[in-house]
Amino acid sequence: MSNVNQLGRRNFIKGLGAAGAVMAAPALATSVSAEGVKWDETVEIAIIGSGFAGLAAGIEASRQGCKSVTIFEKMPVFGGNSAINGGLFAAPRTPMQKEKGVDDSVERMVSDQLKAGRGVADEALLRHVASHAMEALQMTMDAGAVFHPYLQQLGGHSVPRTYQTTVSCGAGITQPLLRECRKVGVNMVSRTKFDGFIVDEAGKVVGVKLKKGYYFGEEDTGEAINVRATRGVIMATGGFAQNVDLRMAQDPTLTAEVGCTNAKGATGEGMFEMFRLGAIPVHMAHIQSGPWASPDEGGFGYVSNYSIFNFPHSIAVNRMTGKRFMNEIADRKTRADAELSCRDAKGEALPPIMITSYEHANQHPNCKKVLKYGVGWKFDSLEALAKHFDVPLKALEAQVEEYNGYVKSGVDEQFGKNMGKAKGKYLKAPFTVVRLWPKVHYCQGGVQTNTKAEVKDSFTGKRIEGLYAAGEVAGGMHGVSRLGSCSIPDCMVMGMTAARSIMGA
Amino acid sequence: MKKLMTLAAAAALLASMNVSAEVKAGATLVDQGMMDGRTYHKKFYKKDNCKVCHGTDTPSFRPADDACLKCHKVDKLAKKTVRKDEEELWQNPHNNLHYGKEVPCTECHGEHEAKAPMCNDCHTFKFDKHKN
Repeated sequence: MSNVNQLGRRNFIKGLGAAGAVMAAPALATSVSAEGVKWDETVEIAIIGSGFAGLAAGIEASRQGCKSVTIFEKMPVFGGNSAINGGLFAAPRTPMQKEKGVDDSVERMVSDQLKAGRGVADEALLRHVASHAMEALQMTMDAGAVFHPYLQQLGGHSVPRTYQTTVSCGAGITQPLLRECRKVGVNMVSRTKFDGFIVDEAGKVVGVKLKKGYYFGEEDTGEAINVRATRGVIMATGGFAQNVDLRMAQDPTLTAEVGCTNAKGATGEGMFEMFRLGAIPVHMAHIQSGPWASPDEGGFGYVSNYSIFNFPHSIAVNRMTGKRFMNEIADRKTRADAELSCRDAKGEALPPIMITSYEHANQHPNCKKVLKYGVGWKFDSLEALAKHFDVPLKALEAQVEEYNGYVKSGVDEQFGKNMGKAKGKYLKAPFTVVRLWPKVHYCQGGVQTNTKAEVKDSFTGKRIEGLYAAGEVAGGMHGVSRLGSCSIPDCMVMGMTAARSIMGA
Repeated sequence: MKKLMTLAAAAALLASMNVSAEVKAGATLVDQGMMDGRTYHKKFYKKDNCKVCHGTDTPSFRPADDACLKCHKVDKLAKKTVRKDEEELWQNPHNNLHYGKEVPCTECHGEHEAKAPMCNDCHTFKFDKHKN
């Protein structure tokens, strides 16, 4: 089939009745015909979303000669989820790797990611991102981002290849990129919500409907405007971790009980609109929850990084039983599900606790912070700990003794935990404790794209003209599980790629 | 539905914020005649001068994000709210880690209603002098 009638297709969808009603439930606007439309503004490139992908796209578009590029952001502040993430950036063949003598390559990085993707990751996309990751890292440095003087090796990576900003936060990158955008002439507009696409009679995306003066959470705010995009629209709207209905539709365990590390705006409307146009949903059910998160603070907080560091030499304990219930360094999904299964006598959520020797916990900079901000606790004895969290003391004492036996022998007979990193790290007083409860962290799913950041049409199998997608709103690249620190390179490289595709670079 | 732990935690946090808001609301959010407003903006209410923030004396919508900045300078505010502790450097609400000096004032400060610091959507920082 060629020359798909987009508007005719929408009528077809409306004709489905109940399905149409269900689709209308989110109260989203629909794409409209460009015929007779009154344009309020005209730009060459319209970018929707101001996280890593959008910011990188804006800078690259300008560098490629684009005279008029605007980033539209629905929230009152710029940065999206990128501004609050951990600032971890993986790339092969970097200056620090050369300096440290780390032997790495595109092939090696892709191999690690394919393994994590469990056979369903998109190899072409992964290779594309790994091949250009150094360019993206350089863009951040040129803009003024500063990184710790050491590489990290995150779970699933075969060599150290991860940079981290000195503020251990994505804002260490978004703020410099934001300044760079303004410097090179990218127009930044906040409180402007994307409301739908404007397509011409040939099915090409030629503009977007926006609500200017929009206040998040107040859906009757904002004035409707039509913005023409003469070269293209780049969707950089992020994931849908904050959309409880959608994530539950994909994975029923992700109820509202499960928190979220994401910024409030990560609700997925941009993705929905692309589906209406005919984009193909891929891997929507692969939603990554962080088993390292705490119910005692919002978002990613301080406990997340603290837990990631301490899991190898700590035990996670069910407060009802005083016993361990999982391998503390199993994969994220296994641990998240195990945590969710911790219930009280009435079946209500009872967040488990992670117990660490203060001696080892204190090696991580966040230890001081979790104690200071009341999201972690320190105890001089198991008795005090058990009393505070209402844990059966005898069972807990027996468990700690048993676990220390595994530390000594090097073999975890309970859950098969790899005790290599726990060698010599016995559990002993004083202890530090945090509560654990999973939070939805990353959505591997989204619209299908190719190595040019073009969005594929489900009807024609070809790209949807005028439409590009980059970052977490796109799906399929990472497969079942995304390796830590691989999101920033994905977002930035694909943002840059979208700009290059549009500008014919 | 099962008990919502996150919601319960959020409710507890909100409750504590409400208590805080009550105290501060008592301090600066008072009846100005036509509506509630800040004590430090009293002179505008006396003259029914809605234009100062809304740009019109017959407002139908909230003021522009930069309305506050006509009288209050964010650079001065950032200096005023500098955190002494090096470790807390970026916890300055007017010059913070995630958004620099660009959070619209009304995200944390309400004129006709009490508001909470946006930072506390995720963090448990102390903002003892917050004018809600």
